[in-house]
Amino acid sequence: MIVISPYSRPLSNGKNNPKNYPFWEELISMIEEPIVQIGVEGEAQLVEDFRKGLPISQLKELLHECRTWISCDSFFQHLGWIEGKKGIVLWSVSDPLIYGHPENTNLLKDRKYLAGNQFLWWEAYDHNAETFVSAREVFKCL
Amino acid sequence: MILCSVATRGRYFTTLPLTLQAIINQTHKVDKLIIFDDNDEPQDMRNELIYAHFFQMLDIKGIPWEWVYAGKQGQHHIHQMANSMGYEWVWRVDDDAIPEPNVLKRLYSFTTFFDKVGAVGGSILTPPVMDTSRVSGTIDLIDLEPNIQWGMIEGYKKVEHLHCSFLYRAGVYNYNLNLSRVAHREETLFTYGLHKKGYGIYAVSNAVSWHLKNPSGGIRSETKREMYEHDEKIFRTHLQFKDYTVVVLNCGLGDHIVFSKVLPKIKKPLVFTCYPEVIEGKSIAEAHSIFGNLDQWNIYGQMDKWKWSQSLEKAFERMYL
Repeated sequence: MIVISPYSRPLSNGKNNPKNYPFWEELISMIEEPIVQIGVEGEAQLVEDFRKGLPISQLKELLHECRTWISCDSFFQHLGWIEGKKGIVLWSVSDPLIYGHPENTNLLKDRKYLAGNQFLWWEAYDHNAETFVSAREVFKCL
Repeated sequence: MILCSVATRGRYFTTLPLTLQAIINQTHKVDKLIIFDDNDEPQDMRNELIYAHFFQMLDIKGIPWEWVYAGKQGQHHIHQMANSMGYEWVWRVDDDAIPEPNVLKRLYSFTTFFDKVGAVGGSILTPPVMDTSRVSGTIDLIDLEPNIQWGMIEGYKKVEHLHCSFLYRAGVYNYNLNLSRVAHREETLFTYGLHKKGYGIYAVSNAVSWHLKNPSGGIRSETKREMYEHDEKIFRTHLQFKDYTVVVLNCGLGDHIVFSKVLPKIKKPLVFTCYPEVIEGKSIAEAHSIFGNLDQWNIYGQMDKWKWSQSLEKAFERMYL
């Protein structure tokens, strides 16, 4: 079983968070293992098994049950790291050298897409699908 | 590399020239001199003959200098600017302090004499000179004894705080920018913070600055009582929690998870948290009510100031260890 955490927190300006991976549907269509999506109410459901609002304790249990996990740059990649479960992190504008962990597989398309200031609100940046690696590249790592 | 910073206000034609002359005449040259001009109506001092002479002397001696028009937010903002300019050491000199020619050489000599020196200060004498030979220099006795720098210091003494003018290691501890414009207690909070961070604070002999109280001007020339009360409250709150490392996690869930790796390394942490299910502690609302502005604990703000390029975990370590 694979856990996916597709979305970063919603932005206060209502725009799509520039850290949200845009090719989930294509990626999911390639995966033949069971997938559990975790997230919160209001996020788009991508697979049948969507578990919303799980407490940290249950997320940890899920991490230990799964083969691996795939996440955008959100709290979940930190949780996987602290629990010692390696996974795949899909980066775009935030810098994996600052916010990532070398124990994970950090897929960053190109450092040229990183936000100039890593410490401002993400509201200052637009979502751009160009900044992410393709679904095929993610699948290869999986 | 030593930066000399002078914050000035209202003393163009009284004590500031004496201070500048004393800095120029140091037997150990500073690597740069910056005068932070906090006057409400700053002037171009290049047009004043005495200052033109100073600038000429600095040029001839090969001391780079800069005259910066400051933001009138108070000297703590000025000192923090100097603190974060990339120099290893900052010698802060008040605009009514007149260091004798050997002061910087003497202070600097102590930076390698001991391990992990945070700040070194000499005597700051305002006649009549006090006897401070029995002063401990600890924060616990701050209300009960005079400052050790107000008298002739014998030998050297490890203390917990300094005041007025001293040489300090830059870039390891921040000035408290929550203070009001009068920045009452700013140097005590700063040097005590260095001490708490494990750096040695020393008061040393044979490094005398004359502090000739000038009745007008001064970087604290504001007289609003509320400002002093506000700053005193911040200081007293710090004393109240002085035996703890105050941790304020006013940040995201992921940040809390990363911080959990750092927490075991922190001595006596007192934690305020947004996610008690990840990091146990008191609420952020309580932190607000105790400390007011929480900006000094904003890890993203600090990383921005530090031009940070290492991991978030290391940023937390820099902030709290």
